[in-house]
Amino acid sequence: MRPRMSARAPLLAALLFVALLPMVWTMLASLGIVPDNTASPPRWRVAPSLGEYTDTIGVAEPRFATELATSIVVALVATGVVIPCAFLGAYGLARWRWRGATLVVPSMLVLGSLPVVAYVIPLAETTRRLGLTDTLVGVGLAQAAGAAPLAVYILHSILGRIVLPAIGPAVVATAVVIFVLQWNSFLVPLVLGAEKVRTIPVAMSDFFTFERELQWPTAAAALVSSLLPLLVLIAAANALLQRFRLAEVDPS
Amino acid sequence: MRTAALLAPLAVLVVPFLLWPALFGLVASFTNYGPLESQVRFVGLDNYAAILADPQFLIASRNIAVFTAAAVMAELGLGFAVAYLLREIFRGHALVRVALLVPWLVSPVANGVLWHFLLTPSIGPLDFARAWIGLPIGPSPLGVSGLALPTAIATDVWRKAPLVAFLVLPGLLAIPRERWETATLEGARLFDRVWLVALPPLVPLLFTIGMLLVGDTLGVFDSLLTLTGGGPGSETITPGLYAYQQAFRTNDWRLGATAGWLVAASVLLVGAIYVRSTRAVRH
Repeated sequence: MRPRMSARAPLLAALLFVALLPMVWTMLASLGIVPDNTASPPRWRVAPSLGEYTDTIGVAEPRFATELATSIVVALVATGVVIPCAFLGAYGLARWRWRGATLVVPSMLVLGSLPVVAYVIPLAETTRRLGLTDTLVGVGLAQAAGAAPLAVYILHSILGRIVLPAIGPAVVATAVVIFVLQWNSFLVPLVLGAEKVRTIPVAMSDFFTFERELQWPTAAAALVSSLLPLLVLIAAANALLQRFRLAEVDPS
Repeated sequence: MRTAALLAPLAVLVVPFLLWPALFGLVASFTNYGPLESQVRFVGLDNYAAILADPQFLIASRNIAVFTAAAVMAELGLGFAVAYLLREIFRGHALVRVALLVPWLVSPVANGVLWHFLLTPSIGPLDFARAWIGLPIGPSPLGVSGLALPTAIATDVWRKAPLVAFLVLPGLLAIPRERWETATLEGARLFDRVWLVALPPLVPLLFTIGMLLVGDTLGVFDSLLTLTGGGPGSETITPGLYAYQQAFRTNDWRLGATAGWLVAASVLLVGAIYVRSTRAVRH
């Protein structure tokens, strides 16, 4: 028993190394610390500066700051719409005394698993007809709708498990997870947004084209900028996320 | 409050922006409907015939079958293994737990950009290690025929296996301590502890995670757009990428929407199995 315990720490350390090395590599590159693998042995070229953040991103993507702001607004709006709608819906489903109701909850998960690409083409058509193309409302609502079934599923399991005073933190933890999904949403803002509504993932796919090869330190700075708000968020919500449950687990 | 009133806001959100487009895609796939078409008429299975006659779509379907099977199994297996390593609390446990979320915070689009550069021979960590031990640095596996798809799968596993561990962990931690101790006293080996103690209570949770992973993977699109663009050749094209290219690049709305609907159909098929399984577990 004991020898197995001692194997755990190095194994975990190795796994964490693999999981986090790409992030560290990217952060270093964004600060101007880049290896040269063509030298033998490989060398590090160390020219630390914040220039990629202050200057170069702006040259590669002049509206980067606006896009960052748009991303924040869209993700906040979408999360702000999803959580109340999903909470009321989950509460309604929990009280529903209809025999078929037990099928509705797993069906919500299936609906929540439906990838956006499966319905985005008709969605673009619907949004155009509603006159909501390239508006915050259109993009925000469409993003919210995509995440709502998953939120219902998670919140329904919370309502079945947790007593009233603890519901608040569990809902906030769910909101954090939904916010991350909204922040990273790509296809909806790509297809429904245009000039006015352009979020970071859309901008990133745009300025990273195979014709116009981007410099690695610039791409790294863009990657870190898009990641930093989420890192701050999960660090702040750390205690809540420790209690996050996707679904009920009954150990009996 | 009445149940209907509680469900109304959800319906107002989900019906026009999710259910209606999905249903509309199904109906439209049997017609000639397109934004530029003046007269809509029923065309039977023409769109399906056209799509099945396109070798690109067949390659995409084969790719997504391989991608989904390999990625989902690897993510569930690795995620479970990592969670198993974390089933006892130690100093720094909370930090490791929240760190599991970090790769998932990278959006699929950013994941494609990230790994495009990390696999670039002159600057990436893998070739850094190769150069360090004196091996010549190779070309990026993303451009090598036969390696591009497995590499794309590996980047997907990097992003999602830690998330699976994060989601599985609460289930493992909920297993009462006595059960591990009893198993150990009875001389259970690693295999028995996993198979008899850890897995049985986690089956519903693993099904739920599996469903989310399958849906996400069957629609994989954004990460490949920036990682490989579908290449080399058509080696990493997927139905999602195909649908997008048809609808918004080639402007063939019909073919794109039909491909999208086929993605939906594959997810709903898996979903039907999932819903049945939840009933079987409950009874």
